[in-house]
Amino acid sequence: MRPDSVTQPGPARRRARLRDDAIRWITRRHAQDGEQARLGRDRIYILPTRAGYTLLGIILVMLLGSINYSNNMAFLLTFLLVGIGHNAMWYTHRNLLGLQVSTLPVPPVFAGQPVALPLRLTETAGRAREAVVLRIGGNATAPFPVPARGTHSARLDLPGLARGIYRLPRQRLDTRYPLGILEAWSWLTLNPEIVVYPAPIDPGAATGGTGEDDPHTRDRREGDAPDQIRPYRPGDPPGRIVWKAFARSGKLYVREAAGGQGDRLWLEWDAMPATDTETRLSMLCHQVLAAHSEGRTYGLRLPDQTLDPAQGVTQRDHCLQALARFRADVVELDPEPAT
Amino acid sequence: MNRPATPHGDLRGLDLALIALPVAALPHVWHQPPWITALVVLAIATRAWLLATGRAAPSLAVMSVLAVIAGGLTLAQFGTVFGQEAGTALLLVMIAFKLLETRNRRDIVIALFLGYFVVVTTYFFDQSILIAAYSLLATGLLTAALIQVHAGRFIPRRHLARQAGAMLLHALPFMLILFFVFPRIEGPLWGDPQREESARTGLSGELNPGDIASLLQDESTALRVEFDDDVPPLRAQYWRALVMTDFDGRRWSADENRSVIDLPVADDDDRVVHYTATLEPTRARYLPVLDYPSALPEDADLRANYQVLRDRRITSRIQYSAAADLVSAPGAGEAALDPQERGRALHLPTSAAPRARAEVALWRATHGDDDRAIIQEALRRFASEPYRYTLQPPRLQDDTTDRFLFETQAGYCEHYASAFAVLMRAAGIPARVVTGYQGGAWQTRGEYLRLRNADAHAWNEVWLDGEGWVRVDPTAAIAPERIEQGLAGLASDTGEEIPGFLRRGEGLSWLQRARFGLEDWGDFVRFRWESWVLAFDPERQRELFARLGLDAQDWRSVLIALGVGFGGLALLAFAWVWLRRPRLRRSPADRLLQRLSRRIARHDRGLARQPHEPVDAWTRRVRQARPDLAEPLAAFAGVYNHQRFAPLSPDQRSDDLDRLRSLLQQVPRGKPPTTKPQAGRA
Repeated sequence: MRPDSVTQPGPARRRARLRDDAIRWITRRHAQDGEQARLGRDRIYILPTRAGYTLLGIILVMLLGSINYSNNMAFLLTFLLVGIGHNAMWYTHRNLLGLQVSTLPVPPVFAGQPVALPLRLTETAGRAREAVVLRIGGNATAPFPVPARGTHSARLDLPGLARGIYRLPRQRLDTRYPLGILEAWSWLTLNPEIVVYPAPIDPGAATGGTGEDDPHTRDRREGDAPDQIRPYRPGDPPGRIVWKAFARSGKLYVREAAGGQGDRLWLEWDAMPATDTETRLSMLCHQVLAAHSEGRTYGLRLPDQTLDPAQGVTQRDHCLQALARFRADVVELDPEPAT
Repeated sequence: MNRPATPHGDLRGLDLALIALPVAALPHVWHQPPWITALVVLAIATRAWLLATGRAAPSLAVMSVLAVIAGGLTLAQFGTVFGQEAGTALLLVMIAFKLLETRNRRDIVIALFLGYFVVVTTYFFDQSILIAAYSLLATGLLTAALIQVHAGRFIPRRHLARQAGAMLLHALPFMLILFFVFPRIEGPLWGDPQREESARTGLSGELNPGDIASLLQDESTALRVEFDDDVPPLRAQYWRALVMTDFDGRRWSADENRSVIDLPVADDDDRVVHYTATLEPTRARYLPVLDYPSALPEDADLRANYQVLRDRRITSRIQYSAAADLVSAPGAGEAALDPQERGRALHLPTSAAPRARAEVALWRATHGDDDRAIIQEALRRFASEPYRYTLQPPRLQDDTTDRFLFETQAGYCEHYASAFAVLMRAAGIPARVVTGYQGGAWQTRGEYLRLRNADAHAWNEVWLDGEGWVRVDPTAAIAPERIEQGLAGLASDTGEEIPGFLRRGEGLSWLQRARFGLEDWGDFVRFRWESWVLAFDPERQRELFARLGLDAQDWRSVLIALGVGFGGLALLAFAWVWLRRPRLRRSPADRLLQRLSRRIARHDRGLARQPHEPVDAWTRRVRQARPDLAEPLAAFAGVYNHQRFAPLSPDQRSDDLDRLRSLLQQVPRGKPPTTKPQAGRA
């Protein structure tokens, strides 16, 4: 369930957990964000980066030189750099201050496919922002700008997950603009739901059968009668529209498999040629997709749930959702420490 | 995992760095061997070409070989890699190579940081205001490059310039506060920086009338003086620096080991002149002070021969405040000179100046004990005989005094002062030579006196019982205009031997006039820069702190000054931000609504009214969570909408507001009741 956590060795794992606890303690006073977060002064943190310490070292050497040579111009430049460095704190902090981050619904994916997390950043203070990065664990967006009084749509790609329902771990919005000597960041707890469908597996291919003659799909066609034509009803898949008829008559007709309402396909949990849950779900997923692409009317029978036969995108999504949620608890993704 | 896909994504800003760093290094071209310049130019040009053609940086192996070669060359050139020049050379070469091998953002950032260091090393060689302005440009460019490196996308140059300029501008107050408040200590911390300083001209501790005084051809500034009140007349201004009592027949020398004496107490304040002098480095310890010193800076002492010495050598420009009593000569009112001092001031090698001794014996025979008459006789001699004043006298051989007095009879102040002292000593009058500055040019722009090295002068002091050491200037006898008008006064006499810069009288073309006008302006700006910025030192800082009632050596004072400085700055910044904050003009009803929302959100953040939420919807939402507040909230929403949307007279409107106010009061400030009897009651 936590594919990214098994790769970490013991001590690193412990450190990550310690770090996680520390962040939890620091951010304990912040409420959960939900779908939207606004970066106020109370939740922006700032610390020098390694480059910042390097510059500090250079400034110290310059200061020593100025004292040694009693060189007032060297003093002036040194103190000018101190001023620039100090103000960078302000600039960097203001680069995040007041930004609004909201999550949009995450499009479901199949297991193993990268998750694209859509985000929207809104600027209301009238200051253009530069080089903001959103991170989850070791995954980060490219640095993006946010225009003054405008929005930016960012996308954060997460690695593929196993089937199930997930909640995002803590996110981190950070920036080093303008000088790179300081990093300001904020922890966000936006929690959109991520739905991961099973990866489709063709049951026919799994058992070496050809698919059509496969006994597990024998119930896919209930009659061999020729197709019938009936008027279009809203919700009919566009692939079944008889365009020739439309060209002739100007009315929409759809082709319907013989048997009409009786042409129902039942996708059965018990009929899948596998014993473990995940493989069965994957096979059912394949069957759902296949049935949908053929424009069939189909139902889904799971051990604890039955979806009545229907057709169209809505039915497909209902079925896939049911497969994704089958005996699945909501998993909070591991907040892998940022690298 | 989502690195930008562009091939040079990580090298964004390198192009600007390739401009900013050469700009920062440019002033070094004049102070470094040509091969360093060539190397740096070559490396940067190569990098620019690689960048433009999209090629990769040279491999690590190539860079290592190049670095070793460059280090070896530096070592061969300077014999060391430490010290100002060698260190700077190495720094420049290192930056050039760093740029050449730049592979990622970190390399650019390091090179740019070192660029700041390059700017500061410029000041080893040059501290003029022009360099200061140039430094600002270089620092701005380096900062702009840093911003571009971290921006994550291309930023238009104009925007970048504005951003970098703003960062510099905002840093200026910090710079000023720290400059004045940061505790200054007397350098150096290590090494001996003065040894590395290039030779400076100044008065010599010895005076040898036989030598050519190159100093008198030197038009560079030696001393600048600002007077607190009235400016004493030029003829009264003798700036004493060195007092020479010891004479070996040819050479006068100053003694730095005389005992320290107390300053005389000026009995008449009207005669005291207060001034502040800015002295160019001399690498010696003497301080030129206006005759006769009555107050001195803390780090300087008055010695028994009335010479003022600082406690250490002057290796950088210094500024000091002192006061002078124009009248009271040293030892005035004393009946007799200390016997030991008298012996020294009368000493004349037995073989020295036989002809002069013979001459003086004749004067003694004529005037008897009258020392004043002897002095007059000597001065009359210089004024009447065919003596002339010239800056290019013939060289003197054998006994310099006799040669000058009886043969060449041509010379400048040193010749006259030396010969006069010998004549006095031969007559039994204690005498000594004083060197320093006299004359100078009054700068009407900026109101200060500018003394050049060419204004160096030598005069005498003779001891008269009861009157003390009386100043006698034999040059005044031969060339009074030199004393009345300064060196420039000589110009009308003998044009050929006066340096060009002194010929500023008449007969100048408009071009020359413009040149001199410009020069005066230049000196004014330079002087202000030097006296306000470059001359700030621990002593000045003590004075500044004392004026504020603080003690610069007490860390608490420093903290107070820092606190007040930065506190004031923060206050200003806060006021600025606060005044520019976006303001929402809310109606009275909206303010009440806001207060209500805050009051309810105090118990539960989630219940705060969102900006997009209509009042009705919000109160409905709150009522679900807080049934105890259902009544006042429903009423509030109703009244709010009434006053908001119904056409009302002002009276009705104020009634509505009163009702809103009273409804607000019905919502308690405290926590909601924790028990749940509300459910039953509802």
